[in-house]
Amino acid sequence: MSVLRRARLLGPAAVVALLAACAGNAPQDTLEPEGKYAKDIDNLISPIFVISGIVFVLVLGGAVLIAIKYRARDDEHFDDMPHQVHGNNTLEIGWTILPALILGVVGVLSVAAIFNLYEEPPADAVKVQVVGQQWWWEYRYDLDGDGSYEEIVTANELVIPSGEQVGLEITSRDVIHSFWAPKLNGKRDAVPNRSHPWNLQADQPGEYIGQCTEFCGLSHAEMRIKVVALERDDFDQWVTDQQVEAETYAEDDTSEEAEGYRVFTQQLCASCHLVAGVNDDEFSDESIPEFHRDSIGGPGTITDPELQASRHAPNLTHFMSRSTFAGAKFDLRRDTEECEALGVRWAEDEDDLERCLDRGALEAWMRNPPAEKAMAAEVVPGRSPRRGMPNLELTEEQIDQLVAYLSTLK
Amino acid sequence: MTPTSGPLALPSGEAPPRNPLGVFARPTATRGWRSWITTVDHKRIGIMYGAASLFFLLIGGIEALLIRVQLATPDGQVLSADAYNQVYTMHGTTMIFLVVMPIGAAFMNYLIPLQIGARDVAFPRLNALSFWTFLGGGILLNSSWLLGGGADGGWFNYAPNNGVIYSPSHGIDFWNMGLIITGIASLVGAINLIVTCLNLRAPGMKLFRMPVFTWMALVTQFLLLFAIPVLTVAQFLLLFDRLFGARFFDVDAGADPLLWEHLFWIFGHPEVYIMVIPAFGVISEIIPVFSRKPLFGYPFMIFSGIAIGFLGWGVWAHHMFASGIGPLSVAAFSVSTMFIAVPTGVKIFNWLATMWGGRLKLEAPLLYSIGLVTMFTIGGLSGVTHAVAASDTQQTDTYYIVAHFHYVLFGGALFGFIGGWYFWWPKVFGYTLGNTVGKVNFWILLVGFNLTFGPMHILGLQGMPRRTYTYRDGYGFNLWNFVSTIGAFTIAVSFLVFFWNIWSSYKKAKASGLKMVADPWDGRSLEWTIQSPTPVHNFDISPTVHRLDDFWHRKYQENGDGKLVRIATSEQIVQPGNPRGVHLPSPSYWPIVLAAGLPFVGWGLIFNLWLCLVGGILIVAAIYGWVLEPSTAPEAARGPDDHVTPPDREGDGGQSAATEEAALVD
Repeated sequence: MSVLRRARLLGPAAVVALLAACAGNAPQDTLEPEGKYAKDIDNLISPIFVISGIVFVLVLGGAVLIAIKYRARDDEHFDDMPHQVHGNNTLEIGWTILPALILGVVGVLSVAAIFNLYEEPPADAVKVQVVGQQWWWEYRYDLDGDGSYEEIVTANELVIPSGEQVGLEITSRDVIHSFWAPKLNGKRDAVPNRSHPWNLQADQPGEYIGQCTEFCGLSHAEMRIKVVALERDDFDQWVTDQQVEAETYAEDDTSEEAEGYRVFTQQLCASCHLVAGVNDDEFSDESIPEFHRDSIGGPGTITDPELQASRHAPNLTHFMSRSTFAGAKFDLRRDTEECEALGVRWAEDEDDLERCLDRGALEAWMRNPPAEKAMAAEVVPGRSPRRGMPNLELTEEQIDQLVAYLSTLK
Repeated sequence: MTPTSGPLALPSGEAPPRNPLGVFARPTATRGWRSWITTVDHKRIGIMYGAASLFFLLIGGIEALLIRVQLATPDGQVLSADAYNQVYTMHGTTMIFLVVMPIGAAFMNYLIPLQIGARDVAFPRLNALSFWTFLGGGILLNSSWLLGGGADGGWFNYAPNNGVIYSPSHGIDFWNMGLIITGIASLVGAINLIVTCLNLRAPGMKLFRMPVFTWMALVTQFLLLFAIPVLTVAQFLLLFDRLFGARFFDVDAGADPLLWEHLFWIFGHPEVYIMVIPAFGVISEIIPVFSRKPLFGYPFMIFSGIAIGFLGWGVWAHHMFASGIGPLSVAAFSVSTMFIAVPTGVKIFNWLATMWGGRLKLEAPLLYSIGLVTMFTIGGLSGVTHAVAASDTQQTDTYYIVAHFHYVLFGGALFGFIGGWYFWWPKVFGYTLGNTVGKVNFWILLVGFNLTFGPMHILGLQGMPRRTYTYRDGYGFNLWNFVSTIGAFTIAVSFLVFFWNIWSSYKKAKASGLKMVADPWDGRSLEWTIQSPTPVHNFDISPTVHRLDDFWHRKYQENGDGKLVRIATSEQIVQPGNPRGVHLPSPSYWPIVLAAGLPFVGWGLIFNLWLCLVGGILIVAAIYGWVLEPSTAPEAARGPDDHVTPPDREGDGGQSAATEEAALVD
């Protein structure tokens, strides 16, 4: 009996040891929540882990103890028949009801938590539409509360104010994806033709990472998520910055960024990537079916095999305010401490830009995107359109010019 | 296939002058490969199911090792993203449909007739059709590796990612067609085994005298009967989408992708129980024998099995807690999922109570059974943690789930089945697998299994998503992934030990030349009352059953002090294997011909419709041949004294008449 008592004490200890083993440098750790919803979930799961741990130790310990205690010493002992017990109704009813009671308690806790996660955000909360697409995320902001998400369109990084409940509407443009920033909340699937409300809250400013968690094809592993939580003032500043349109360049401007601008608009780039103030007009295609615009928040769908290009590649208007590119697979801003400390405005200052821009990664990407990230970048005739950025066979000069142009998109 | 001299001969002996068109005699081979491909003997079919699933286990195992090699280190370069997606999809599909399910089918085919005292299943030719159809589906599915690549959408193949636009290769077509065909096999088998359990029981073998294994098999077959059609329906919709431009899952046309999720999991969750319940049955046979005690709470074991079967239909949406179904559905399915742990717990406690106070002989079969009880408990408990829907939103689609279901399906189903192999091997093959090697095999497997899947709990909680072909340095995933890969190779070693055990034990048994005894473990159920290996006719005379564990009670009785004493040796009870007046179903060419046609229809739909014609001709020809085939092969030497009524037939007390007539149904 003393062994059993000891086992009961060891149960929670073992669970704690296991949980401790999960700590360390794990930026997607579900057991280190840093936002209200993730904390709610964590508070719910901890006692359940403890209960499970106790049951586990009892059953495993029981099985091992029984196996040792009632072991047949030899053949003679084996043939010395034990008392033949066929069953015991009291015990049966006991071990039916007892687990049912424990599970009943767990069930009540579970149901209460479910409805907490579904609580509606307050009317003045920041509302963001999260759109999954093979293999990156688009974030569209509704700032004026009119229900249409078009004031800010950005990609790869979801910028939110810290300490506030942010209302998400999660959807997809192609297959099913799942949005997950583990330290801020559980995951929610992005399903085409459906819009799923979800909440997010980061208690402190900082960067929180995650990944797409519903298998979505080739580069599912590299469809990454970054949530950047800013103090309210910084967030307001970011909102103002993001609504500025990009400038255009005159025909006779021969600066490198003007050359890059012409590469952007005259090569295939501008047929998929939008830069507000530059090629908005080409993106107002009225022939796209109505329901798509409603549920997805913008024209263009790559579910139509006739369309060679999606028109939905990441919006580049404020490219240099992001720290990553290509579905957050690569760092745009170097991941050194000093560069990370510059935050979302890391490219404002020319020196900082020069120091912190990961030029090599960006140039390699433009040289041959499919070699850098697995994508179905070529059309399969009659079966599948292009999904992902193809190799545009840019010259080194064009790449330099494009980098110069992109550097102006702050 | 030569026309016979008198296939439709009348009992009076008159024969028609010539053969009607399309009538072929039944095959007569009793030895060699011809006898195997035409057999309708449930034992041979069971063995072929087992052999085929071991072959597919090899394929699925290699796929598993490829996955683990790729993920051993961050940024693995062994597999490309595309190759990884195919390998993990095919690993899951193979292990579920071509390994665990058919291993269960092997046990059920072999054992159900023996445990209920029958000479064969109710429809022997359909039984052969089940096996060959399953094999055809498995071959079609795996032929994708040679014909353009495997399916790349995951075994769950969610819409719309399973459409042509997102998966332009033919992999998913192979997946679709292959599983529709193995589904036919499961459905045919389900009907066959249900009828067998209900109609072919020996005299006195009431339902509540059936061994628990047979009971669990019956529950499993009912689950198959209702679950498989749901998958088949979904797959037909997908087939029409992919091959003929239908738009069931076309989002542009207004489809809701959740339709596929619901259909898939309405099949998919009972499927879990289809895999694991037969293993529950297996260890419910092993534990009493190796504990020297009857199974604790027999009726509770039966009813908890039935309860799991019923509740298994009401929990499917727990696979969809993050999918966007409303909070009310999430709450309902969260609670229903938790309560399926109740009957499962009853089983665990009853197994432990059976061992309590027993005389445990810790040989390989019992070790694997205890392995199931403990490992499955871990899987069950982690299951409860994500039945809590809110925490499941953190755990779903992470490695935590991968850990969970491997503890359920590997730690549960496979451990039980391997224990069953060690337990029934002497009955099936006439020699015992080495016990010491078996124990070594067990401990290596147990260590390897926990090294592989234990760390995945931690990886999942640390936020590693599943179905990802790569992961990064700096996320805390490195150590546990590496440990897991070491574990996977340890599992591979344990299977090599198992195969070596089969081989070396066979050599040893052959060298010793000793005949295997009928009842090596001092067993309790009817299969131990006949010779080892099982004679082709199973029972010399149909047994008459008087109570649960009839064989045991004919060997042992309680004396005045309530102490159990032996009243008869096994040898006194065991049937000598000298049958008279046994009629067995004749072998047939047609099941394999019919089954051979099905994959051609599959290939035809993918590559060239003319191939469908080849398949169609085979199928139609086989159906006609099947229908017109004479019911018996007079010259086939199937069973001694076939069709000769022995003079002392009355001496059997007419016990066997019912069973033998039933066997004539085919």
